[in-house]
Amino acid sequence: MKTGDVSIQTLQQAIRQGEISAREVAEQTLQAIEQHNPALNAWTEITGPRMLKEASAVDAQRQRGEPLPPLAGIPYAVKNLFDVAGHSTLAGARLFSDRPAAQADAFAIGKLRHAGALLSGMLNMDAYAYGFTTENSHYGPTRNPRDLSRVAGGSSGGSAAAVAAGLVHFSLGTDTNGSIRVPASLCGIFGLKPTFGRLSRSGSHPFVASLDHIGPLARRVEDLALVYDQLQGADPADAFQAARLPEATLPGLSEGSEGLRCGVLGGFFARWCDEDARAAVATVAAALEAQEEVVMPEAELARSAAFIMTAAEGGNHYLPALRQRPEVFEPNSRERLLAGAMMPGAWYVQAQRFRRHFQQQVLPLFDRFDVLIAPATPCSAITIGQQTLTIQGESLPAKASMGMLTQPISFLGLPVCTVPLATRSGLPIGLQLIARPFNEEAVLRAAWALEQRGITMPQINMAGA
Amino acid sequence: MNQDEWARYIGHMEQILQLTLDDPRRAELLIQLSRIAEMAAPLMAFPLDDRLEVAGVYQA
Repeated sequence: MKTGDVSIQTLQQAIRQGEISAREVAEQTLQAIEQHNPALNAWTEITGPRMLKEASAVDAQRQRGEPLPPLAGIPYAVKNLFDVAGHSTLAGARLFSDRPAAQADAFAIGKLRHAGALLSGMLNMDAYAYGFTTENSHYGPTRNPRDLSRVAGGSSGGSAAAVAAGLVHFSLGTDTNGSIRVPASLCGIFGLKPTFGRLSRSGSHPFVASLDHIGPLARRVEDLALVYDQLQGADPADAFQAARLPEATLPGLSEGSEGLRCGVLGGFFARWCDEDARAAVATVAAALEAQEEVVMPEAELARSAAFIMTAAEGGNHYLPALRQRPEVFEPNSRERLLAGAMMPGAWYVQAQRFRRHFQQQVLPLFDRFDVLIAPATPCSAITIGQQTLTIQGESLPAKASMGMLTQPISFLGLPVCTVPLATRSGLPIGLQLIARPFNEEAVLRAAWALEQRGITMPQINMAGA
Repeated sequence: MNQDEWARYIGHMEQILQLTLDDPRRAELLIQLSRIAEMAAPLMAFPLDDRLEVAGVYQA
């Protein structure tokens, strides 16, 4: 059976009916990772023994005639800032390479373990999650499966590349300013950044507590919704988690875009992107019958405020290590972090107050719209090592600018599903489908409708399995 | 502030935060801090309502 090309529910059905065992799925996956990871550099560690053990437990459950949980026998991988019991949590940084092993799995990994999923390993990222390209100076760059000479995006670059290559069905990433949405856009897969506070972050290495989110990346919207539903649940250990009961999104997917009021974000979001991004927005707007363009006031200032909060909280987090062991910091990040640690406090407080102001300006838009559409990145994937990109005739620093269209949205904590579209060059570009807080179902329904109509970009499979 | 003034600011913060820097690191720090300052300027100039509070999530 070609496991990489089928949906989670189809693979589950095959395991339930004994057409393939979970052990066979795990062995096939490990073999494919072994074969293709050297070209991708997506995995920084492969957890073969754990994966085989988890697979054997699923097979034993089946043999005992017990019902299988929703993700039984499904291969996945996680960004290497999630705690995995028995392994060091790297957060992409040389600084943590000799850190003691985690004692327990992160909350999200515990949820997936209970759901029967098979952990294949941990994935590369920008050091500390501070970047948009996963050109990691210590662990090497992750390469884009659509074109190995290009970046996979970041900071969850390994998470996007592993899924886009067809080596696992889904992965976990984190998103502070765009770190799920940017790599999903550049690698041509689906990504979900849920509402801020929706999913527990406990057991993940923090970067910016005021902005960090976790979320899944997948090859199909149905898979994305299924995994998201399994990740929901209250965690008293996460002080930032919102007091909300789980709300399953999978059952409502087939309603598609029926009844959804969709609009297009203009202004800042239309200005800072290339023709490919604009063409993709026009295609999706037509499909979702989004006729009106709306402006999110002061989006550019929101980006600046998110940038300042990130610099201040991230810088403060690493200040002790910057004092004691500056030599182990990546040159891409060290002085950026230090600059954040020494900026005037008034800038940070103004950014936090502006966040409340921006929320008050933007939330009323959702009285008129259920889903707003905007590009996820200004352009498609750049080549590895490229320093600048040109948008609107302006040369911008490539590493920081890839997230300029995602930053204002995560600053508000709104739920976003990114959907991949093909450009004229054949490279993908992602669009953000954005909804009011806690309306993940709306963005997943709209994404599902686009996928069903063949508007989103087909997936590739490097393994050919 | 001009570049010289930012360089002096960095010198003061280096002492306050008990950092040991060399000239190449100070030069890179100046670039990074100037970049943040450029973004902070319009944000600081934006008039916020007198009673607007921070968007923190702390709950006792």
